Amino acid sequence: MCVVETLLIVDDEEHQRLLYQEELSEEGYQVILAGNGKEALERLSESVPDLIVLDIRMPIMNGLEALGKIIGKEKGIPVIIHSAYSSYKDDFMSWAADDFVVKSSDLTELKRKIRELLDKKKAER
Amino acid sequence: MNKILAFILAGGKGERLYPLTRDRTKPAVPFAAIYRIIDFTLSNCINSNLRKIYVLSQYKSLSLSRHIQLGWNILSSTLGEFITVVPAQQRINEQWYRGTADAIYQNIYLLQKELPELLLILSGDHVYKMDYREMIKFHLDKHADVTVAAVEMDKKLSPEFGVIEIDSESSIVGFQEKPTEPKTLVRSPDKILASMGIYIFNTEIVVRKLIEDAKRDTAHDFGKNIVPEMVGKHQVYAYLFKNERGEPHYWRDVGTIEAYFESNIDLVSESPLLDLYDPEWPIHTYHPPLPPAKTISDGRGVHNSGAVMEAILSGGCVISGGEVKRSLLSPNVRIEKSAVVEDSIVLEGARVKENAHIKRTIIDKESEVPAGMYIGYDHRADAKNFTVTESGIVVISKGFRAR
Repeated sequence: MCVVETLLIVDDEEHQRLLYQEELSEEGYQVILAGNGKEALERLSESVPDLIVLDIRMPIMNGLEALGKIIGKEKGIPVIIHSAYSSYKDDFMSWAADDFVVKSSDLTELKRKIRELLDKKKAER
Repeated sequence: MNKILAFILAGGKGERLYPLTRDRTKPAVPFAAIYRIIDFTLSNCINSNLRKIYVLSQYKSLSLSRHIQLGWNILSSTLGEFITVVPAQQRINEQWYRGTADAIYQNIYLLQKELPELLLILSGDHVYKMDYREMIKFHLDKHADVTVAAVEMDKKLSPEFGVIEIDSESSIVGFQEKPTEPKTLVRSPDKILASMGIYIFNTEIVVRKLIEDAKRDTAHDFGKNIVPEMVGKHQVYAYLFKNERGEPHYWRDVGTIEAYFESNIDLVSESPLLDLYDPEWPIHTYHPPLPPAKTISDGRGVHNSGAVMEAILSGGCVISGGEVKRSLLSPNVRIEKSAVVEDSIVLEGARVKENAHIKRTIIDKESEVPAGMYIGYDHRADAKNFTVTESGIVVISKGFRAR
């Protein structure tokens, strides 16, 4: 049986969200979208995804604050920080993510990391 | 000196000190007549030249915050020094601190702000005088990732403490949490090494460990989880709190009414175990502007009227014709005519009225012992109004008045 893996993509820019949705759906993932940290937590209370891709700079609740709350609530969901600013790697809270991918127009790196973490999670089970 | 940030965990409920902790957290409990328990840890920091201090509070923190605001506003913010009380803000988790490690994790943004090289984690619950610089030097000399302070004590006390097992190089090889059958010292089988709840961490390592721990279901505690899990994988050392002769220094948890009572009463003896009179190691506190203590005889030639023997008196006390033996009187205590106070601890603003007799009793702040009342002579009678411990120490809670 093949179970469709679900990704929660959190980004405040709508065109980015749609781009990720399109590209990642093509890879066979089911994609859920959220526009900021607060929305991400709301999505999480509805259903538990297999992996979260999290932007940092967002209005209402930024990604690092959301990350803290995600860890407290849902243990064991891999999180990839996806930010245009690699300087956030110095932020202690960003260390709570499983990986950090700097945003680029080419999603190859992001897709590779998503696959890697999902496979790792499966292997641990 | 390396950049060091100190965190004092001051959220302890101190349940076994009830009713002294009915209205205040354990670090805010008065000690040695004019101090609060936390004054010892804060003074240790200042005397060790550590001047970046966060005090993490949680339960019943008003009394603690007020004390620190009044008495500890002594550093220069211009020089980047501070003693700041940080209440639990539920900034990361919507919960109270679940353990000592969670308390630091939830304040990780404070670490980010200061970016210290080393983190000194302290408890505000203990009474002792320690130069943290010596422990820091040990930590650096050993190239340790974490150093835990430990003190030698009697084996029979092991169910109350974290017990540490070390090798000949002071490297920690094992941990036991409150064991009934503890690992004892090789050279003296009736002694154990107890963790003092003091940790020095390299910041980067502690941050990584705290995050790992936050992602898991643990007790979120340094002594139970973080440090034991580092044993064997990291450089984990014990710093032994002892003098040049190898004897353990004074360190008290004062976790129970009995321990609290004994360590206070010991201070009135000729050479107490805890020296409060050492000019090299002043203990700072908040002290209000008060007139000097005074004792008066009632002038009728009554034996011992106004007499004080083996006692600690604080500013503002007036013993007007009463008698005080082997006791500690906090500021503004009144002992009226023909009242007798023996082997007791009388806290700030309390009043023992005419002809009352008090023995082995702790009178909390602002209480009033009615004229002619005997306390500490008949435990069954005392237990009707007050808390009486197994060993017969009576505690009169804060603000008691006869109805």
